[in-house]
Amino acid sequence: MNEDREKGAGAKTDEVFSVIGKSKSRIDAHDKVVGRLKYIGDIEYANTLHGAVLRSPHPHALIKKIDVSRAEALPGVMAVITAKDVPGRNGFGAILPDQPVVCGDKVRFVGDGVALVAAVDEKTAIKALELIKVDYEPLPALFSPIEALAAGAQKIHDSGNLITTSRVVKGDTEAGFKDADVVLERTYKVPFLEHAYLEPDATIAVPSADGSIIVYGPMQAPFTVRRNVAPVLGIPINRVRCVVTQPGGGFGGKEDSTIDTAVRTALLAWKTERPVRLEYSREEIMLSTCKRHPMTLTCKIGAKKDGALVAFEGTIYDEQGAYASLGPVLPPAGGVHAHAVVMLAGPYEIPNVKVEGYLVHTNHPYGGAMRGFGAPQANFAHESLIDELADLLKIDPYKLRMKNCFKLGSQTATGQVLDQSVGLRETIEAAERAFKWGEKRKPTPDREKAGSEEKRTGYGMAIGWYRTSIGTMADGCGANVHLLEDGSVIVYQGLVEMGQGMHTGIAQITAEALGVAIEDVRIVTPDTDSAPESGPTVGSRSLTLMGNAILLAVKQIKESLMLSASELLEAPAERLVARDRFIFDREKPEVRLELKEAARRCMGLGRRMMGQGWYTPPKPTLDPQTGQGNPYFVYTYATQMAEVEVDMRTGEAQVKRIAAAFDIGKAINPMLLEGQIDGGIGMGLGYALMEKVILDKGIIQNLGLKDYLIPTSLDVPEISATIIEQHNAHGPFGAKGIGEMPNIPTPAAVNNAIANAIGVRLYELPIDSEAIWRAIQGVAR
Amino acid sequence: MGNETVKFTVNGKGVSLEVEPGDMLVDVLRERLGLTGTKAGCREGECGVCSVIMNGTLVASCILPIKKAEGATILTIEGLEANRELHLVQKHFIDNGAIQCGFCTPAMVLAGKALLDKNPRPTREEIQLAISGILCRCTGYQKIIKAIDSASKSGKRGEV
Repeated sequence: MNEDREKGAGAKTDEVFSVIGKSKSRIDAHDKVVGRLKYIGDIEYANTLHGAVLRSPHPHALIKKIDVSRAEALPGVMAVITAKDVPGRNGFGAILPDQPVVCGDKVRFVGDGVALVAAVDEKTAIKALELIKVDYEPLPALFSPIEALAAGAQKIHDSGNLITTSRVVKGDTEAGFKDADVVLERTYKVPFLEHAYLEPDATIAVPSADGSIIVYGPMQAPFTVRRNVAPVLGIPINRVRCVVTQPGGGFGGKEDSTIDTAVRTALLAWKTERPVRLEYSREEIMLSTCKRHPMTLTCKIGAKKDGALVAFEGTIYDEQGAYASLGPVLPPAGGVHAHAVVMLAGPYEIPNVKVEGYLVHTNHPYGGAMRGFGAPQANFAHESLIDELADLLKIDPYKLRMKNCFKLGSQTATGQVLDQSVGLRETIEAAERAFKWGEKRKPTPDREKAGSEEKRTGYGMAIGWYRTSIGTMADGCGANVHLLEDGSVIVYQGLVEMGQGMHTGIAQITAEALGVAIEDVRIVTPDTDSAPESGPTVGSRSLTLMGNAILLAVKQIKESLMLSASELLEAPAERLVARDRFIFDREKPEVRLELKEAARRCMGLGRRMMGQGWYTPPKPTLDPQTGQGNPYFVYTYATQMAEVEVDMRTGEAQVKRIAAAFDIGKAINPMLLEGQIDGGIGMGLGYALMEKVILDKGIIQNLGLKDYLIPTSLDVPEISATIIEQHNAHGPFGAKGIGEMPNIPTPAAVNNAIANAIGVRLYELPIDSEAIWRAIQGVAR
Repeated sequence: MGNETVKFTVNGKGVSLEVEPGDMLVDVLRERLGLTGTKAGCREGECGVCSVIMNGTLVASCILPIKKAEGATILTIEGLEANRELHLVQKHFIDNGAIQCGFCTPAMVLAGKALLDKNPRPTREEIQLAISGILCRCTGYQKIIKAIDSASKSGKRGEV
């Protein structure tokens, strides 16, 4: 990271912190580096059965008959479950429970579950699957939103194939385009993407003595799992206990996949009254769990000669696949689809905007949450478009963005006035300096002039914005903080350490607020029996929202702590400061005591030693009819610039370097923040250049990591990142979210750099060697 | 149990086990010897999180039939600490923020150690190549490369 940390106008520079803003090593680093930390695959329960799922080979078919008699008769098989055996609701899902735990009447994609087996070992379970006979009657299958929306198309669900239509309408785009000197319209396509977290999905379910059930697994959203397992078993939510094991990567995928594995494992455990373990193989994960939504995005933009943007129209065909997952609108602005629609016009001031989006079922695997949640798709479209517009206007794309992008007081496409923490322009300027854009980047050449050299280098940029929060009314989260008499602290909360460093971040926030050292704070692994409801670990919300909940909890403890200290020091409580395990008089710093002495006095006098914080961010106000209002309460901003070398003979593109800048409010832990930036950009490079789930008639052609390629250490170049800190009034110590922002602008930055190199624009991800070669040669695919 | 005997050394201790010929080293390490620091991610030798050091070379243990380990000397992540002291590569992984979800970490650390044992002062490109058989979806590899680099630069000769 660049050393000259930049302070924006809104930054608070006068605060001195002991723990906040420091690059502390992560609190779980030691356990991970010695291989001692237990993932779900490392945990064994005595007497555990092995679960397995029989999956549909058809993309769309009626189930006429299932015969499980031979499987049931196999020695070692303890249970075979079909739809009739589900005691409660036969459906699950993060937003709508539309995915059958076991399909009864029909299957909707290749990989749909039609029967479950529990057996004494894995081999027996798999053998049992082979003995189950299913008679299917194939139905016409639909593989694109256009097919699924055609008149008379086969209905995939009784409710129809169109799940929802979302819109944003601001001003009058017709008048806007009349006023434009230049109008550009383009269509962009992005594919299904696999999360490719390295830890395979698995859960263990253990029936418990008081009629409850315990589920262990790498849950990204344990409370969502809990509220799915309970109705499937037909028991109250308080009878389900979800204990999170360290996810070996998740990236949104384990919000969904752990619901899938948990309801099925719990059902098998419920039926057999024994612990059951269900683990999906890599192929099963790719076959059956959620993906990034494919979208077709048509965008039209109008500008004056001087570059002022006057109108934008966009249409999104958003392919949901077989089940709803996290696609549908969770009012007012939750769900992948609403997010993509709201973000499509980009971080630009445009007076007239109209966006329409259609979320459509098909007989493909289903789209769910994946890092960026609809924003990467939208960003690829608006950032590729604005770049091409810049070429048309013969304006440097840097200058065109600077002219039109959000600043403090700007109004977004949804009419939201950005009244605080807007550091987008500062990120563009910082990236420009680090990258030396003005010096390096030359205007995009014509195709003919671009063909003479063997290798050409291009420079591209993209900017972006991303929410902190999920945009629903239910975005609250809670924390219980306990101060113990020796000055150590326990925090119970329900947001998950995915690897992003969130638990280290909240340990820093707790330590700073309470005046202890980070080593004094223990963050208890989320367990829904002891953690307050915290919502899901998504939407780049965790550190900000939970940080606020913790600050509220700490405030309660500090009242009694400072009262006790004030009595011991004979100094007024309002003058006391707690820092680095000591409490001292601000005016006479030599008057001090160890914090634990005050804690001991609180204990001895029966004073409050626990705090309970509940934080709900400012409510979203988006009107679903007009798409006007505030969908989210604050945004993180980013700029990325990429240098790409293209081999003009083979079409191979190599990203040589990336300069990035982020406005994140406040860097709670700069080192872990850089980790998010590096990792996000790495993932964005995969989206840009190589990743795609290839489907043929509903069947995935590249199952497994041998055929589905993700970036290796040879594919990610050196990354320089600059941090801008535009204080967020709603964030703990001014922070806002970072988890998802880094991978969002990368594909467009790379695409624009390739265009700048070869003189031809591309409109579809991934931009692989073949696509580039075809573009250079002028050969259609 | 199985019908063949295999003998090898793991983390300095000799073991002799009855195995089935189709068993892979990763399963023997994890299930028979309780060494769960070695992970399994794809079972086709693609993701590399199952990597261990066998006779000084990094191998993917998920595609290594156990018979091939006969007589071998194997080092897993559990054997890297000496006298409860972290290996230099481990220390630098912690200090440089090279760990996120941690699932690839044992393999990456072993890859770093195997590299530095053979090449104490590798270039960035040599480090990139040495870890290129192990996938990491979290870090973008930058801090892993930096950790191995700084371990190589901080170690006295013969220490890493």
